[in-house]
Amino acid sequence: MSDPKDFVAGVDSDQRRSPTRVVFVTRRTSAQVKANYEEQVQTYPEVLFRVLLAVEILAIVLVVMALLFNAPLEGIADATHTPNPAKAPWYFLGLQELLHYFPPVVAGVLVPTMLVVSLIIIPYFNINIEAAGLFLQHRQRRLRIFYLTAIGLLVFLVAFHVYVAAVPTLIVAIAMVIAANSSPASHSAPRRYLASKPMAWWVMTWFLFELIVLTAVGTFFRGPGWSWVLPWRS
Amino acid sequence: MPGKTDKILEQVEQSRVWRSIFRSGRGTSTLHNALAIQQSVFLHLFSTKVRKRMLSVSSTWYLGTLTLGTFFILIVTGVLLMLYYHPSVPQAYADMKDLQFVVSSGLFLRNLHRWSAQAMVFLVFAHMFKVFYRGAYRAPREFNWVVGVVLLLITLLLSYTGYLLPWDQLAYWAITVGSNISAAVPLVGSKIHFLLLGGNQVDANALLRFYVLHCLILPLAALLFVAVHFWRIRKDGGLYVHQSEPKKAGVVDETELVKEVQ
Amino acid sequence: MKSVKQLISSVWRALFGDTMRAFAIVSVILMLTLAIAPAKDHFSQWHRYQNGYLSMISDRGDAISLRRRFEPGIQQIWHPEIGVVDRCETCHEGLKEASLADVTTQPFRKHPVIPHPLDRYGCTICHRGQGPATTVEEAHDSKLAGVDPILPARYIESGCGQCHQNALTGTPQLNLGRQYLAQYGCVNCHMVKTPDGTVMKATDNPPSLEHIADKTTRDWIFTWLKNPQAYAASATMPNYKLSDADASDLSAFLISSSKPQAGDVDATIIPAAKNADPSAGASLYGESFCATCHAVQNAAGNLVGGDVGPELTRVGNKVKPAWLQAWIENPRVYDEHTLMPHYRFTPQQVAMLTGYLMSKSDSDYSTDAHLGTATPAQIAHGRKLVVELGCAACHTINGVKKPDNFAPDLSQIGSKPLAQLIFLPGMKQTLPTYIASKIKDPGSFGPAMKMPQVPVTDAQREALTTALLSLSDRSQTMPDKLRIAGFHQTTYEPAGHAGKLMADLACMSCHRINGHGSDMAPDLSYEGSAVQAQWLDSFLKNPNTLRPALTRRMPRFNLSDADRKTLTDYIMVAYQSPAIDPDKAPPAVNPPALVEQGRQLFYSKYACQSCHTANTNTDKGYIGPVLAQVGTRLQPAWIYAWLKNPQALRPGTIEPNQNISDEDARAMTAFLMTLKSAGKQEGKQ
Repeated sequence: MSDPKDFVAGVDSDQRRSPTRVVFVTRRTSAQVKANYEEQVQTYPEVLFRVLLAVEILAIVLVVMALLFNAPLEGIADATHTPNPAKAPWYFLGLQELLHYFPPVVAGVLVPTMLVVSLIIIPYFNINIEAAGLFLQHRQRRLRIFYLTAIGLLVFLVAFHVYVAAVPTLIVAIAMVIAANSSPASHSAPRRYLASKPMAWWVMTWFLFELIVLTAVGTFFRGPGWSWVLPWRS
Repeated sequence: MPGKTDKILEQVEQSRVWRSIFRSGRGTSTLHNALAIQQSVFLHLFSTKVRKRMLSVSSTWYLGTLTLGTFFILIVTGVLLMLYYHPSVPQAYADMKDLQFVVSSGLFLRNLHRWSAQAMVFLVFAHMFKVFYRGAYRAPREFNWVVGVVLLLITLLLSYTGYLLPWDQLAYWAITVGSNISAAVPLVGSKIHFLLLGGNQVDANALLRFYVLHCLILPLAALLFVAVHFWRIRKDGGLYVHQSEPKKAGVVDETELVKEVQ
Repeated sequence: MKSVKQLISSVWRALFGDTMRAFAIVSVILMLTLAIAPAKDHFSQWHRYQNGYLSMISDRGDAISLRRRFEPGIQQIWHPEIGVVDRCETCHEGLKEASLADVTTQPFRKHPVIPHPLDRYGCTICHRGQGPATTVEEAHDSKLAGVDPILPARYIESGCGQCHQNALTGTPQLNLGRQYLAQYGCVNCHMVKTPDGTVMKATDNPPSLEHIADKTTRDWIFTWLKNPQAYAASATMPNYKLSDADASDLSAFLISSSKPQAGDVDATIIPAAKNADPSAGASLYGESFCATCHAVQNAAGNLVGGDVGPELTRVGNKVKPAWLQAWIENPRVYDEHTLMPHYRFTPQQVAMLTGYLMSKSDSDYSTDAHLGTATPAQIAHGRKLVVELGCAACHTINGVKKPDNFAPDLSQIGSKPLAQLIFLPGMKQTLPTYIASKIKDPGSFGPAMKMPQVPVTDAQREALTTALLSLSDRSQTMPDKLRIAGFHQTTYEPAGHAGKLMADLACMSCHRINGHGSDMAPDLSYEGSAVQAQWLDSFLKNPNTLRPALTRRMPRFNLSDADRKTLTDYIMVAYQSPAIDPDKAPPAVNPPALVEQGRQLFYSKYACQSCHTANTNTDKGYIGPVLAQVGTRLQPAWIYAWLKNPQALRPGTIEPNQNISDEDARAMTAFLMTLKSAGKQEGKQ
């Protein structure tokens, strides 16, 4: 047993380290808190002016952009002449790319609804609050589930000729395989990094990767009839 | 010279009128600074003091702040653009031409609004991913994450509704493509489509509807949720920061703690 | 190196070391960037042009008045009802300044005088371009969908044609273009619906091929198909550039599909034709005014004669003599709807004309194609070609239906979006260029292009392009009150015996009655009010003494007395003007005092002799018709009404309305009714 006086109560907002704040009071001492001193600053003026500074720099960048590049404006809307291709705003082009492969119910309704719902439930889905690496616990079971899911998903995407989405999926899957075969004590820094990532991290990374690839393909690589074009060859 | 301006400033700040507006008074003490935040209806959403580590650029990249910045730019340029805009067919398009060719700095205003809107959508996504990768969505900040998701949707809707307003081919067909997706919702798809456009196809009714959504309903909703978002930052213990300081020697091993409690 | 680094870092710290100071500096930078946009506005292109205008006028004699009329800032012509927002005058400051007629540099040139005030309809309605724009690039050469670039000046008449569906004297090119659309048969294949809602009808009268084997041989058809213009330079039939095999198969099918004409051709007069004197035929050809409608190439290679009927230079190479005889005898037997009148020739005359026309052949024009007997495969392929090439769009062919919408609708070709056009490499990407190139050489747009090369000259092509460009979107959406309707044929047909007679004589091939017919000869709608019955009868009997100087003349149809009476009676009764009250007609014979008063008015007050000739010995007015015998030709009521208001009787006549009082008009009518030179008759007005 160590000396009770050696206890240090931490003031910590890191939920991973201290999910619940505990106060230890021993029999022989009165209640006392020995807080870690952490430097604090006044919101006014320190934070406020930093915020304003950041916003102003952003404003300068945007003003310069507005001076240099004109917002697009085409001919007046004409319901009788459909441009080819008719593209949605860029942030929806990932969805439009999916619409090219799947029926609207799937690509236009099911996928976005699932995305929003899963984004909302992320913080309530705290099975792995310790944020330990995905394959560090229950390794065999998790590996089986991972292989089944990854191969199923890839087969599904390739069956529907969605190579655009299959490629990022494949890359993430390969990274996960590497992670599964690495230990947190590995000598290589990237392997240590991958090995330590929890499931939520992998899912979100896969989502981000798909989002970027699908949006980029929809924006730059799609021409008349949603055919594949190379942007540098117009 | 500086002494003189200081004196004038001091006189102004101690005048009755100034004091009636800014009650925090003159001074640089902690109390004064705290009051400056606390006494302002806008700033009291924030706490008066924050941990210094929250200010580091690397932890947040100021993405939330910058998103708010684009939102302010959008409000200012948007209100100015509203002065030149009629949500009617075909005058809406003619107004774009007027902005481009006859309104002083009209094209600049439209450019700034457009690029800020694109920047805002980008920054909102970036903010979301940054928050996720920092793990800042975890309890007790779950609800603020949900508010953030709502704000993401509002931002997308704002951008989408604004996309139609120039009434050019780009706008018209982007909205036609987008709104056709809503028709795919099972059972009530065509009803939703009709409700969204105020008709069966993108036309003057859709333009008016999108205008009202873009200029009134969605910005108000965004302001409301932004206020909640900020309030919750304060209530959830300030911005999330990593426990990045080196562990102190005195910190006890968890297993031992458990034993002690027993 | 180190010192530079130190310097930079110390400057950096001095500027941005402190949050507040950095904030202040960045604020100043933001303010400066925000000031760039208004500054850019101030140095805009149109400001420069306005300054250029001011400095240009400053060294002119009338600088003060020009400067007074100069208006700074953005100028605009705004007509919301026709969608015009034209800011062209922002740079084109001198458009309305008459004194700048010598200025040749744009944008300061003066606009030529046009019938409309410049700001009545704005600029872009005729010139196209983007009206709201205030930069040269955007105004003149915008690439936006729905915005046309500035129209080249040679097509400018297309602007007029958007409102004016009628033929204006100031737009010869447009009028010709519209005429060519009908005349070259463009509208047989292409639908052209004019903005007033009528579908343009072709006037090229392509012959029916139902009985083609009666008329000509397979060899001639083959030679014709290979190159129609080799047979007749004026032929409007396009050259389809067919291969020998295709032309042979086509001719095989056409001959095989032909059905013999009902009613056998009378062969008995053929010997008479052989015996006929060709020179007598030539004089009969002349007397019958065949040249009014038919042209013949003269020795110099020029066409002489009208273009209503086909050119006859090599007709002897083409037609079978028996057919030609039957045709001259009565063309309506072979083709019920032909424009050719049924002359009442005697068999002897028919034989003479046939002999004369058959002698019109060209030994250099060989139709000897040595085509073998047509095989069923050839005929079947020929039929396929007929369908593919759309021959039946123009010609009536047994067993092939007239295709509907064979070629694209051209009703809005004048605003066709560039995105829907396929340009050839190296071609200027504008609509006028596209239309002109397409007419010039459709084949260059790809072998699949079915459109043939229409035989038009460069000038005709520009006219066609102008007419097509006038079929713009704007012309369709123009408010009705701005639209001036064009002439449209009515379906009027005279009835009864006289009606049958008039159809047989094809009166409406030259005359127009109640809105139906051609405008080659005078409109006869009010002829019954205008002329005297006796004069009309004698004119029908012997019209060819009239106006001998003109090529286009009324032919003599050799009518029987009974037919003439039927016609005269019908015209006198049926074709009356509602503007003339026959019960209030001035008397035909008047007291000499009134006649003398009329003469005075005619010669002095109204000086009619400056245009008309009342006395062939003294007067020298040749602008209007000669009036020396007007007393035997016209009715007094018509003369009186004409003097009062010529335009009411014949809209568009150049006779001025001089607001002649009732009294003066009556006196002059009395005078004019005395002009009856004996023995000779005068031409109609």
